[in-house]
Amino acid sequence: MTARTATCACGRLRVACEGEPARVSVCHCHACQRRTGSVFGVAARYPREKVAIEGEATEYVRIGDEGNEVRFRFCPTCGSTVCWEMPAFNDGIAVAVGGFADPGYTPHPVRSIYDASRRHAWVDIKVPVERRG
Amino acid sequence: MTRIAACDCGKLRAVCEGEPVRVSVCHCLECQKRTGSVFGVSARYPKDKVRAEGPSRRYSRVADSGFKVTFDFCPTCGTTVHWHLDQFPDVTAVAVGAFADRDFPAPAFSVSERRRHSWVAVAGDAVQHKE
Ligand SMILES: [Zn+2]
Ligand SMILES: [Zn+2]
Ligand SMILES: [Zn+2]
Ligand SMILES: [Zn+2]
Repeated sequence: MTARTATCACGRLRVACEGEPARVSVCHCHACQRRTGSVFGVAARYPREKVAIEGEATEYVRIGDEGNEVRFRFCPTCGSTVCWEMPAFNDGIAVAVGGFADPGYTPHPVRSIYDASRRHAWVDIKVPVERRG
Repeated sequence: MTRIAACDCGKLRAVCEGEPVRVSVCHCLECQKRTGSVFGVSARYPKDKVRAEGPSRRYSRVADSGFKVTFDFCPTCGTTVHWHLDQFPDVTAVAVGAFADRDFPAPAFSVSERRRHSWVAVAGDAVQHKE
């Protein structure tokens, strides 16, 4: 079975993931832009029991547009957010794809959220994705 | 023109006067880990055109160039809003996503393309692509 580990920039916070994610999605919303400092976020969603978090993390809780709580975990030394959960959805754990530091990471995204309203025009997603909002 | 870059929780801000001197995308693995996205996007400003507000924590690393880079991130939400490069002491780099503005000037450079995820590219006729 595939085992991959996402880490923060300094390597102290590690998220070990077994198997394949249920899906990978891109989100261009303003919160994802700010949080990443990039112009979109990329999340790989894994079943909770396939993920092991190692190292110290600071939790940051944000209330999303629809009133749902999102709980992010970032490294207190370097600031990288490595994973997050939305408890209300019981929808597994989202892992920041950049944390895998693997340009060959698959699967590729299948969804691009806030695509029409928030995507910077120069971002060219070259695979077929379901585009929303 | 004044633009304000802010972290997700809003406590750490960088107030930027005028236009950035360089906007670039970097696909390197360090930028991937720092952002959690598949590339970083930075806008360089003259240092005296950027005013930081709010508490920050610093993280330094040595870049491939051999020079130190020092990042300022929000201790509450983790967002890196701006950073300084010892290689370019007169410059402040600001995270473009922190402006949350799709009309922000588009990048003219896309670097470390050998690390680019194949499913996404930086579009634009004038963009200089570097391996
Ligand atoms: Zn770290
Ligand atoms: Zn988002
Ligand atoms: Zn913050
Ligand atoms: Zn980079």
